[in-house]
Amino acid sequence: MMPHAEGRDLVLSFADDELCVGQNHAWWIAIGPFLEEDLALTSIAQDELGHARSLYTLLSDDVDQLAYGRKEAEYRSAHIAELLCHDWSWALVRHVLHDIAEQIRWSALVGSSWEDLSHLAERALGEEQFHLQHGSSLLSRLLADERGQQRLTPAILELAPLGREYFVSSDKHLIENGIVTMPLAAQEQLWIDQTTGLFKQYDINIDFGSEAPSAGRSGIRSHDFAALHEEMTAVLRIDPQAQW
Amino acid sequence: MKTYEVFLKREGKDPFTHAGSFDAPDEEMALIYARETYGRRGEGEQMWVVPRTAVLSANEKELAMADRDHKHNDGLRVAELRRISTGEES
Repeated sequence: MMPHAEGRDLVLSFADDELCVGQNHAWWIAIGPFLEEDLALTSIAQDELGHARSLYTLLSDDVDQLAYGRKEAEYRSAHIAELLCHDWSWALVRHVLHDIAEQIRWSALVGSSWEDLSHLAERALGEEQFHLQHGSSLLSRLLADERGQQRLTPAILELAPLGREYFVSSDKHLIENGIVTMPLAAQEQLWIDQTTGLFKQYDINIDFGSEAPSAGRSGIRSHDFAALHEEMTAVLRIDPQAQW
Repeated sequence: MKTYEVFLKREGKDPFTHAGSFDAPDEEMALIYARETYGRRGEGEQMWVVPRTAVLSANEKELAMADRDHKHNDGLRVAELRRISTGEES
């Protein structure tokens, strides 16, 4: 079936989020806090980049052009996904917020009338379970420690409200057409509830703000995007015919 | 952090073999890191993760003492004597 333009927008936004987070996770290769964590986070990075590729494939035969060759205003990534986390505690918090959102987003695509998308969602959910287990296991251990909590709390308070942008998308026809099985607003509420519940255990109360940020979805790139894009297109600029 | 040893078993009749070691804070994280460190490319169908403290180490001196000629009998001498006694060509 030829999906409605809204469906294509939803998939493009999701793919761009995955591309940016995958690239950002990959940045920790060889400089993670300890070897095992370095390997785990960058292995997850590969999965996220794989999700991005699969989603782009639903939209175009030229995945590289779509992933790397668009003008800045044509990307749809949420700003939280673009953020360069210079401190590992921020990278860990973004990883957990992202994966809680991802699990909800994939779940809402299982059973989609867009069959290829539904199959992809089923497969991705299996991996997502590992990502979430990794992120939340490590985060909860660090939050149980006073010093860990001191380092992580500012990142949680700052990043969590930005995560609402993951669910910004027009869904007027998506429900009607059966592209998604849960309205975006309900997905967002589920994400807020799960996130609130996770951090409440550690007396961290998040102010999610009255309105979800939406600049990234409307085509405005955050400050960090240029550096991220520069890095992810480095190989392609050296060798436009590169295969990988 | 505690050190763990990883054993992997590939599909089929191969036995479990030692894949390596790594550090993790506890058992739950150990299983996560074992998978990402030694099994992320599908290297095994089954995996054992063992705390190093659970591994019993044999005494190295006693192991070295065990290396004696008469433990290496591969049957060649018997086969040679047999050939001589039956007059077979070698």
